Amino acid sequence: MKNNKIIELEMGGGGKKSEELIGNIRKILSVKGKWKNTKDDGAVFDLSRDATCCVSTERNKLVFTTDAFIVDPLFFPGGDIGKIAICGTINDLSVMGAKPIGISLSLVIEEGFLQSDLEKIIQSINKISKEAGIPIVTGDTKVTEKGKIDKIEITTSGVGLAKEIISNDGAKVGDDIIVSGDLGEHAVALLAKRFNYQTKIKSDCQPLIAEIQSVAKYLTSCKDPTRGGMAAVLNEMAEKSKTKFVLEEKDLPYKKETVAISELLGIDVFSFPSEGRFVATVAKKDSQKVIGILKKYNKSARIIGEVQKGKEVWLKTKIGAVKKIEVPRGKLIPRIC
Amino acid sequence: MCLAIPGKIIKIKNQLAIVDFQGVKKEINISIVDVKVGDYVMVHAGFAIEKMEKENVKEINAYLKNGI
Amino acid sequence: MESKKIIKNIWEKAQKINRPLRFMELCGTHSEAIAKHGIKNILPKNIKLITGPGCPVCVTDQSEIDIVTGLALAGIPIACYGDATNIPGSLGSLENARQKGAQVHIVYDVIEALELSRKIPNLVFWGIGFETTTVMTAWGIQEGLAVFSSHKLFPPAMEALMANNKIRVDGFINPGHVSAIIGAEVYEKFKIPQVIAGFGAEDVLLAIEMLLDQIISGEKKVENEYTRLVKKEGNQKAQKIISEIFEIRNASWRGLGEIEKSGLKIRKKYQHLDAEFIHRDLIAKIKKEIKPRKSICRCGEVLQGLIESKQCKLFGKSCTPDNPQGACMVSREGSCNINFRFTE
Repeated sequence: MKNNKIIELEMGGGGKKSEELIGNIRKILSVKGKWKNTKDDGAVFDLSRDATCCVSTERNKLVFTTDAFIVDPLFFPGGDIGKIAICGTINDLSVMGAKPIGISLSLVIEEGFLQSDLEKIIQSINKISKEAGIPIVTGDTKVTEKGKIDKIEITTSGVGLAKEIISNDGAKVGDDIIVSGDLGEHAVALLAKRFNYQTKIKSDCQPLIAEIQSVAKYLTSCKDPTRGGMAAVLNEMAEKSKTKFVLEEKDLPYKKETVAISELLGIDVFSFPSEGRFVATVAKKDSQKVIGILKKYNKSARIIGEVQKGKEVWLKTKIGAVKKIEVPRGKLIPRIC
Repeated sequence: MCLAIPGKIIKIKNQLAIVDFQGVKKEINISIVDVKVGDYVMVHAGFAIEKMEKENVKEINAYLKNGI
Repeated sequence: MESKKIIKNIWEKAQKINRPLRFMELCGTHSEAIAKHGIKNILPKNIKLITGPGCPVCVTDQSEIDIVTGLALAGIPIACYGDATNIPGSLGSLENARQKGAQVHIVYDVIEALELSRKIPNLVFWGIGFETTTVMTAWGIQEGLAVFSSHKLFPPAMEALMANNKIRVDGFINPGHVSAIIGAEVYEKFKIPQVIAGFGAEDVLLAIEMLLDQIISGEKKVENEYTRLVKKEGNQKAQKIISEIFEIRNASWRGLGEIEKSGLKIRKKYQHLDAEFIHRDLIAKIKKEIKPRKSICRCGEVLQGLIESKQCKLFGKSCTPDNPQGACMVSREGSCNINFRFTE
């Protein structure tokens, strides 16, 4: 793909130019895995032969997930839409305790999109695919007329295998609530770029497989706080497990820059998404051990609260008051007054 | 939305200044305040609206340390 | 910790006064801070904090929303602050207008609006807010930005609130940033306990304690808790720009009705940048065609502290932050929105 060349409508038409474009994308994607890609419409994974490479039990559970990605800006400190698209699906599988075995990649590209930008996006997908050892096994590429979509949309689906499923409804009264690192940095990176702030904070976008696998057996529930941030995810976990989550404000995992940008833009920090963190509940007797393991991956891993009898998510504020943390509502737009 | 956190002026160029809020920097219009590098200002929607008084810098720092 | 001590003092002093007290915070960001830190939950039972008309989006009158939406629907590109796009009017909200193809641009500040206006011909910036945002709009006009002014002055609203004898308030927590512009002195004429406060938890708590002190000693004056920012005389450079560009006129406030000398109109010298002048024929036509939207929304009473949000039939039912029926539910600093998000 040449630098200043653009994506043309014909490249999605199924003809020669389509083949060329798809060929170029395939050339970049280097991880092959155990999948057999015949010239048919799908890729084949032989479960009876190859599942043991992923999990060592006969009671394998297949986990399947899909996600669509639109991001503005496409490129931001710490990542781009490609990186989020692959990490997002890997993480959705990982938080359920599954080991991803293959990902599909579908692109809808606006006519006129720079080929060099596409190349960058595919390369960052390949980088994660390589690091995590997870192949892109099938995919599709379409091109729309200019103005029909905003630059590019990516859909990834993934399958994974799990021995035990970690659900998001398993929190037990008395469990500790933990986070794998500081939250909201993905939001900071994007908001800073969009509204012209300078900060050292980069997107936290990263695959979570190793981190979660290392503590999976201790987790009673787990979820990644993407859209809607911690506020949305903890409320969901509390509701589904019919318990009350109580957090300590002094222990909250937000860097000073993250708090500053939420103040500057008037957006609730609890709703800031992360793309490479998870929140989980752990039996109190295991929590120190779990935090010890997680700290090897991220020094900011910590306990932020406790599961109690009751419902909803509550915060003990620094002045000693308690207040409810609500599911984010309305549109997340910066406010002025 | 009134900001609770003050910012510190780190660079001035005519009507504009780079202001640092806890590690987040933004270009801010300073045309309605008289300020120099090192001053703390309160910012509202892209404008510095007032300088924080010098004698209160200690108070400001304590405030920043305790969080908002 | 300092705040623990202030809370202890508040409890002691409130007990000493031993009667129900109502304090009104006048700035939306104070309402937000009170909710964020859970301040209402730690106050003694006899202190009630009520939210006043300090959210600019909330007090913006229906007629102004309708005119701006009408302009947008007639093809005039509009730039405005985020919240302003969601206030429902007779012609729908600006957001609805955008869905129908109108050009509505959300900007974070006037600087962004000015940059847009250099790319988009005929762009009109909808200026809302009190003295704080007014300065910025004034600066924009000086730089050549065309503006529809819904700007309002804060002190006349306080005067109107005090004149309404249905509203019983024992003290005001005065706004922080507005006061940074207009100064502390202007409040001296109001014979009621007032404290200008900053936006931290301790600031608000300290302001409450200072109000209690005034009540105990029988004083009715304005005090300044926010001395690190607010000066007695305010920001005179800012005041000068405002009066260079704007002149005072009467203005309609949601809930409070028309208040004398409470609004700001662009001076004749700058009428070439005044959307009310530029589009006067179009506006006259819009005004004629508007049929006021009937709603049982009680926003007006809520923002005077006459009723609580939950006393409105729409609250939490057909009116939520996702689908606001009234302005107080639109803005994050609107009392209904805050009450919805922070129900105990």
